[in-house]
Amino acid sequence: MSSLTKIPLQISGYNILPLSLPPLPSFPEAATHYLYLVPHQPKIPTPTASRSLFLVNVPFDSTELHIKLLFSTQIGLPAGRIEDVQFEGQRRRGSGTDQASSPKASQNKKSKKRKRGSSGGIIEDMEGAALPPVWDRDLQTNGLTAVVLFVDRASMDAALKAVKSIRKERKEPLWGEGLEGKVPALGSARYLNHHSLTYPNKAQLLESVNNYMTRFASKEASQARSLARQRQVADADGFITVTRGGRTNPARQEVAQEQAEKQKEKQKGLDDFYRFQSREKRKQRAGELVRKFEEDKEKVRKMRERRGRFRPE
Amino acid sequence: MAFPAVKKRKVSPLSGGDCNNTYAQDAGGDWSQDSSNEDNDFVLGNGAIRSGHTIIKAKRTAKTSWSSGTYDSNMFKLKANELLAKVRPNDESRMVKMENSLRKLKDVIEHIPNRKAKPILDAEREQLNSHKVRIPFPQPRPAMDAKYTLTYSKPTNINVVGSYARRTAIQVGGQLGIDLAVTMPSHIFQEKDYLNYRYFQKRAYYLACIASGIEEAQEDEYAVDFAHQNDNHLQPIIVITFLQDGGSKSKYQIRIILAADGDLFPISKTLPDKNCIRATTSGVSSPGSSFNMPTPFYNASLRSECSSLAYLKYLHASSLQSDGFSDACQLGSVWLRQRGLGREFGSFEWACTMALLLQGGGSKGKPILSRGYDSYQLFKAMLQFLSFRDLIASPVLVHSDNITLVDRDGPTLFDGKRGMNILFKMTPWSYATLKHEATVTLKLLNDPLSDQFDACFITKVDDLLQRFDCVIEMRTSRVPRPASQMADALNDETYFCQRLHEALSTGLGDRVRLLHVQPPPILSWDATTPQNSTKGLRQVQIGLRLDSANISRTVDRGPSAENKVAAAEFRRFWGGKAELRRFKDGSILESLIWSTSDPMDNVLKQIVAYVVQRHLGKDAADSIKLIGQSFDRLLSGQESAMNDPSTLFRPVMSAYESLEKDVRALEGLPLQIRQISAADAQLRYSSLSIPALHPSQGQMEPANICVQFEGSARWPDDITAVQTTKIAFLLKMGELLEESTSGLIARIGLHSWNRSLLNAAFLDIHYPSGAFFRLHIHHERELNLLERVLRDASHTAASREETASALSTYKRDFIHAPIHTQSMRTLSTRFPLLSSSVRLMKKWRDSHMLSSHLSDELIELLTVRSFVHPYPWSVPGSVMTGFLRTLTSVSKWDWQSEPLIVDFNGEMTSFEIEAINLRFEAWRKIDPAMNRVAIFAASNLDPSGITWTELGPSKVVAARFTSLAKAACGMMKEQATDLEPEALFVASMSDYDFVIYLNPRSTRINNGRRRHSVFKNLHVQSDQDKSLSGVDPVQLLLGELRAIYGSNALFFSNEHEGSLIAGLWNPQTGPRPWKVNLPYSTKPVVRSDDEGSQLNINKTATLHDIARLGGDIISRIELKR
Repeated sequence: MSSLTKIPLQISGYNILPLSLPPLPSFPEAATHYLYLVPHQPKIPTPTASRSLFLVNVPFDSTELHIKLLFSTQIGLPAGRIEDVQFEGQRRRGSGTDQASSPKASQNKKSKKRKRGSSGGIIEDMEGAALPPVWDRDLQTNGLTAVVLFVDRASMDAALKAVKSIRKERKEPLWGEGLEGKVPALGSARYLNHHSLTYPNKAQLLESVNNYMTRFASKEASQARSLARQRQVADADGFITVTRGGRTNPARQEVAQEQAEKQKEKQKGLDDFYRFQSREKRKQRAGELVRKFEEDKEKVRKMRERRGRFRPE
Repeated sequence: MAFPAVKKRKVSPLSGGDCNNTYAQDAGGDWSQDSSNEDNDFVLGNGAIRSGHTIIKAKRTAKTSWSSGTYDSNMFKLKANELLAKVRPNDESRMVKMENSLRKLKDVIEHIPNRKAKPILDAEREQLNSHKVRIPFPQPRPAMDAKYTLTYSKPTNINVVGSYARRTAIQVGGQLGIDLAVTMPSHIFQEKDYLNYRYFQKRAYYLACIASGIEEAQEDEYAVDFAHQNDNHLQPIIVITFLQDGGSKSKYQIRIILAADGDLFPISKTLPDKNCIRATTSGVSSPGSSFNMPTPFYNASLRSECSSLAYLKYLHASSLQSDGFSDACQLGSVWLRQRGLGREFGSFEWACTMALLLQGGGSKGKPILSRGYDSYQLFKAMLQFLSFRDLIASPVLVHSDNITLVDRDGPTLFDGKRGMNILFKMTPWSYATLKHEATVTLKLLNDPLSDQFDACFITKVDDLLQRFDCVIEMRTSRVPRPASQMADALNDETYFCQRLHEALSTGLGDRVRLLHVQPPPILSWDATTPQNSTKGLRQVQIGLRLDSANISRTVDRGPSAENKVAAAEFRRFWGGKAELRRFKDGSILESLIWSTSDPMDNVLKQIVAYVVQRHLGKDAADSIKLIGQSFDRLLSGQESAMNDPSTLFRPVMSAYESLEKDVRALEGLPLQIRQISAADAQLRYSSLSIPALHPSQGQMEPANICVQFEGSARWPDDITAVQTTKIAFLLKMGELLEESTSGLIARIGLHSWNRSLLNAAFLDIHYPSGAFFRLHIHHERELNLLERVLRDASHTAASREETASALSTYKRDFIHAPIHTQSMRTLSTRFPLLSSSVRLMKKWRDSHMLSSHLSDELIELLTVRSFVHPYPWSVPGSVMTGFLRTLTSVSKWDWQSEPLIVDFNGEMTSFEIEAINLRFEAWRKIDPAMNRVAIFAASNLDPSGITWTELGPSKVVAARFTSLAKAACGMMKEQATDLEPEALFVASMSDYDFVIYLNPRSTRINNGRRRHSVFKNLHVQSDQDKSLSGVDPVQLLLGELRAIYGSNALFFSNEHEGSLIAGLWNPQTGPRPWKVNLPYSTKPVVRSDDEGSQLNINKTATLHDIARLGGDIISRIELKR
């Protein structure tokens, strides 16, 4: 391919790996996708970073299987060298932990997908209590980066070397080769599947709701207990922390503020009692009018500057 | 509205029709004596020297009123001053040139040689043969055997008159005319010349002499044309248009009008009750039945000839007496011009009316207007007078009290001093239109939410299609005139229009609110050719304002059979169409039955066709063209029931009612239901497609419903737990509903967003009737929980942002959507045409592929504005006006600097409006690039202004929206009554960067009525199996496209007939230095000039990705750039 000659081997230290996208009936034009790879160097070092590759601009339809197959069948790395692939969005949560678990059960993965956001919910981890997923396959909507974790440092180096040699040979690996039937299809099948997943089994739904509520209740109870303990035990300085849930609830902040404002209002007194007050008020009103007039003049001036505002059509 | 008190005098407020003001009595009636000293002011040349004193004066008045703090509408006033500065003729060099040519013309006219008196035939022959100019005789032309002679002699006086001389001329669109009055010497007339057109015939000869004199003296400097002064065929004038290099006509004109001395004929001979066209003498050949019929039109035309100088003096004196007079004249002229009213009531009539009302017209001869008013007050008081005073029923007489007025169907404002009815040219319909416009403008000036100034002076309102709900075009034809009608000097066309107006207003009755007849314009014609336009058959246009309550009534009840006179009259008018019927209440009435069988042939059309055929002949009836009804047919389901949303939406509304009943009747729910509210376009009469309940019509879209339970302390105090609890509630409700109603299917669905703060689930309810509802639970504590998170400073910025967006989603779905739906339902019953207009607007939006960018509610707000703030028009009475006016307002909307504010029920206070404006300005200050909020649309229901526009449109789309509207309005102006409504709905694909063609199998076709699922066999079963209802792969695909590629391309689609998706690349995706987190597919590019490699968007790969994502849904992708 002539275009390849123009493509550099590296950009800003990232190795460039062109991927060939075969023509489709609806888009009968061959295209090339560019993947950028570099050894992973996170800002906060993790134990696994040294055997990970950082991928930039992964295709939107990448799955773990896609990446694994790309390295094994297309680039020529022996199979089984990749331990895990974490895409952006998923990676953020799992980045600190060093999970050495073997290929995850699909159940596990799904729960991860519907992991709830951290703001507001007391319950963070909800194994079994999560709602059923509504999509059969996630797409990379959050960002186009991924971290590939290899079994050891040597495999990672081998992978990088293989990528470089492929570039030298001017080969373009095919994207998504050999995956038919192994991942859920896209297109209308995906949307029909989504539609049926939107309406989950009632019993299953009820179960997850019940699970959630039990867990929520127990968590709430334990929280209440710990608060009650705080209420009873004095701290090192001999103070007792004021917490919610006691017999005499502490006032909510908003309510207290509101009351304080009301009090202030009450103390103000009459504002048209003295003559000077009404005089000042009048003056203020006149000033207001003048100010408004000046503002209006300014507005009209601006309008005049924009052409044609005052010319009848 | 407070008025400025210029000298701290008390100004009584103007209210109602009684505009009396007492403090200007000292003005007295002796103005004309004052003004007689100023004769010399008006001779040629002096009158044209302009000065800026009026401007300075206006400024001074403005200053004093503002400093006294009484002026409420400075903005209006400031703008008015700007306007006046703009419309004053101000091209100095051009003015000097004009004045030079005026002098030259004066010289030319003064040097035209006298001609000896000749009999008519000789004079005409000589004129034609040796001077090439035809004599523009009025109808009827003089008889061959007439005994009097025609002569020419040097004019006694040549003056500049009219608004130019009074320095109140306006120059809009470059057009400027100067009136030059040539006073004919009295000795060429005889004492009895006021009779039988003799004056006008001599005048025509005199005019022809001047025209030939000018024609002979010039060398291709200007074109000399004849025209009719104010379309009055008795008064031909010369129009001189300057020719530019290359022969094209410039926009500067000099009109030469003829005048006679004021005392040529005594006023007593031309009073309105006198007869001046005697049938016995020659000239008119009909027998003497009309001998004593008064001829007010003829008389007033004659009188106006004799008083043009007198009026010039009078108006000048008035402008000296009242500071605001000249400015008010100009404001009035602009106002009249924008409304296309100049033909019968022009700036001269406006000025005269104002001058007369400054002196009298009130009770006991007191003046109606006060001299202390400033220009704006005078303008407004004039509008009040025109709007409230009915000059037909109660004529106003100034300077006279013992005048016998004849019964006339036109208005009368009689000036006793100069002996003329100022409004003699006005027809009943032009007066009704004037009154209507004045009323609308007055209402406008009291509506704080309209852009008063623009609507009053800037917007052009004379476009027929927008001004009238329905327009009828037909050709004029000659109708036989009975002898009794020959009396006054009306030409054939005016008579035709009169007959037409009478026939149609009787025939249509209360179906129309206003019936305006626009006779064909009389164009000027070259002086050397005969005027041929009156002979040809020409178009007359009739504008109707419909009364939507009565327009489609099919049975008309006439008078009772016992009332012999009325019944006979009814039969005479309706002929064979009238039937005697016995009605249910026992009464026996003459009646009319109109058919409803043919949807193309509605009642209005039937009536017009029948009445015109019966009263004006077959020729006219055959040429009838009805414009405005075809817009209705663009909407699906509109063919059968005209304009009636309540019948079209009745099935779904009653289904909703039964759902409400069923849900309330549920027993066994842990909490009581407090409220059930609809939150869907289908439940507020405004969805484009009529919800289809019958299986044969396809499937209905789910209609959103909110259910709110009574408060309880047992709800969890955690937002995610609340969402989960709701699921439990929904499960229970679904179970109970299925038990209580047989055949009902209830299914719980999950939303696809992956967010713990948002409502997670809904209940889909399928009724066996085909109705399909989607029920959500509204828990009001969510608001507090979310707000608490927002207030808590300990959360991260990301989580606060998430919470903020969850909060706005909550407010939109559970607070604003139900209120909006409720208000739209109320308004739809108040304005029956709102529903169809909204639906047509949505069709327009969809056909221009903007459906997913502009929310339904935004379109509804825009359309509602044309109904609740309709100015400068009145409330739309047809789908056409509702739709076109909304489009026009969109095209004029400068959304970058103006908020949209809609007041649904007219209860907003000025504080609320000000608060909204402040909020708008704050938004523009926070986000001047308009990245978050482009369009700001607030209403009394939603002062925040961003509820319906937060998610779109973006700046680019908003600009496209207004420019598409502009293009549509341009087309409308250009094609006027020939406009094909369908042409407004054709989208062009040329602007897009790429187009994705969809597989027809997976899209919805057939006007959105029928969904075609991918699997044909599943679709067939769907009568029983509801599992696939609501599936829409195209919308899902579009949603994913937006989620994945939203930051690098904009997608456009037509939600209802979508067979393609078009896209535009984001221009900010060009070459840029390396960055890890670019949200789009990139390719490296090597730059030749330096070492640094850059990234560029990989367009082919992106389109390839799209093709992979769409799979079998996409049939073809075309990349244009």
